[in-house]
Amino acid sequence: MQNDINSNNIIRFAGVSKIFEPMHEVALRNATFEVAQGEFFCIIGPSGEGKSTILQLIAGLEKESEGTITKPESVSMVFQAGALLPWLTVRENVALGLAAKKMTAARANAEGMRYVLMMGLGGFEEKYPRDISGGQRQRVGIARALAADPAVLLLDEPFSALDPKTTEELHEDIIKIWRDTKKTIVMISHLIEEAVSLADRILLIKNHTVDRVFTITLPRPRRENETEFAKEVSQVRRAFFKT
Amino acid sequence: MHAAFAPFVVIVILFIILRFYSVFPFVPANVSLETIGGALLATFLRLFVAYALALAVSVPLALLVTRSPLMERLLLPVFDIAQSIPVLAFFPLIIIFFMHFGFTNGAAVFIIFLSMLWNIVFSLVGGLNVIPSDIKAAAQVFGIRGIGFVRKILLPAVVPYIVTGSLLAWAQGWNIVIVAEVLHTYIPGGSASNDLFGIGSTLVNATAKGENGVFIVAILAMVLLIALLNFFVWQKLLHYAERYKFE
Repeated sequence: MQNDINSNNIIRFAGVSKIFEPMHEVALRNATFEVAQGEFFCIIGPSGEGKSTILQLIAGLEKESEGTITKPESVSMVFQAGALLPWLTVRENVALGLAAKKMTAARANAEGMRYVLMMGLGGFEEKYPRDISGGQRQRVGIARALAADPAVLLLDEPFSALDPKTTEELHEDIIKIWRDTKKTIVMISHLIEEAVSLADRILLIKNHTVDRVFTITLPRPRRENETEFAKEVSQVRRAFFKT
Repeated sequence: MHAAFAPFVVIVILFIILRFYSVFPFVPANVSLETIGGALLATFLRLFVAYALALAVSVPLALLVTRSPLMERLLLPVFDIAQSIPVLAFFPLIIIFFMHFGFTNGAAVFIIFLSMLWNIVFSLVGGLNVIPSDIKAAAQVFGIRGIGFVRKILLPAVVPYIVTGSLLAWAQGWNIVIVAEVLHTYIPGGSASNDLFGIGSTLVNATAKGENGVFIVAILAMVLLIALLNFFVWQKLLHYAERYKFE
């Protein structure tokens, strides 16, 4: 994977800083890293040290204050709390991902339905977000992001509010989607185990800048009770807590 | 896009009806039990036109205020002052203005409109400010911008606030309409013939003439209409608006 990263980068941060004015609040400082085409890339780090800012910069929600960002036009995002519209049905929420594609309502409906089924939400398409579980809501969010057919899929702590069983199911789903669609995924996680379980590489953000990048070469599926998995987790944990 | 013009078309049509066809041309000089139904309808129509106007004005006004923090800092204090000024203080001037054009109905509609406006504006501003930031971010990520953003995100998101603002606006409107129809008290040397036909003027003139029967029936009719509106319109709308609320 490392070789691919060097030759086939889809995202590149070169000395990127983000400073929020007027308080001159430094969110990210001189960050340099790359994400390869088709890579599963995780970002971890303490709260409030710049993880979300990186995602916002890639999504185009914020503009860098310094440095250069190279990224594709088509980027889509799954939000921590789902960010679903409560007045739209599951199918309509998914079809929202097609808003920029200027297709007819009938075509958007059909296309939206394809992703509803892909995410195992068949039978729930006419339900409203309030009528489905937290895990299903997050599936709708993923389906909506995939419907946009992005080059890069951003996941902002999408499993943080879910129970362990649902989280594990969604981990399997997201790995399957990643394999089937060959999309580049950039995910923020607050769990080291989750990052090691899913990612090709892990970016550790500390003190508002890049601390280290870990390459995880374990074969998939990765099991948390395996010795090699525990070693990787331990290595990342040491760096995470090192002062 | 054409749907956005619908409220304006409705308002223009209602104004034409009120202005040129003078739906209720007779004055309540001879208030009687027979005219109470018509009076109630005339008052309701006046309130409805004023409400439609207030809604059509308050939506763009609230969108303008919440467009940027700077706009909010500049305009909200102005709105605060504007809503604190008692509208009835300006009623004599408003009547003179509209009488100049022979359109006294306009004076009543305008004063009701002013009394309703700020309830809806402030409710809308509150609603626009509590739209979750990740919803706005999602809209941006999925390329929903400009008019599409207003139509698909902002307007549905403020439906509960439009309903509560409208409920308060109508309550205010019913308060003001009683005074707004009794124009003669604001016109030097005015008489009941200057008043607008409606339930407000019926109540005031029935009291002045000591027609207690008419007064009681008019009051009961008004209370019944308000109760029916509450039950069949506002309660249903409040229930419907629930689906537009963010968790």
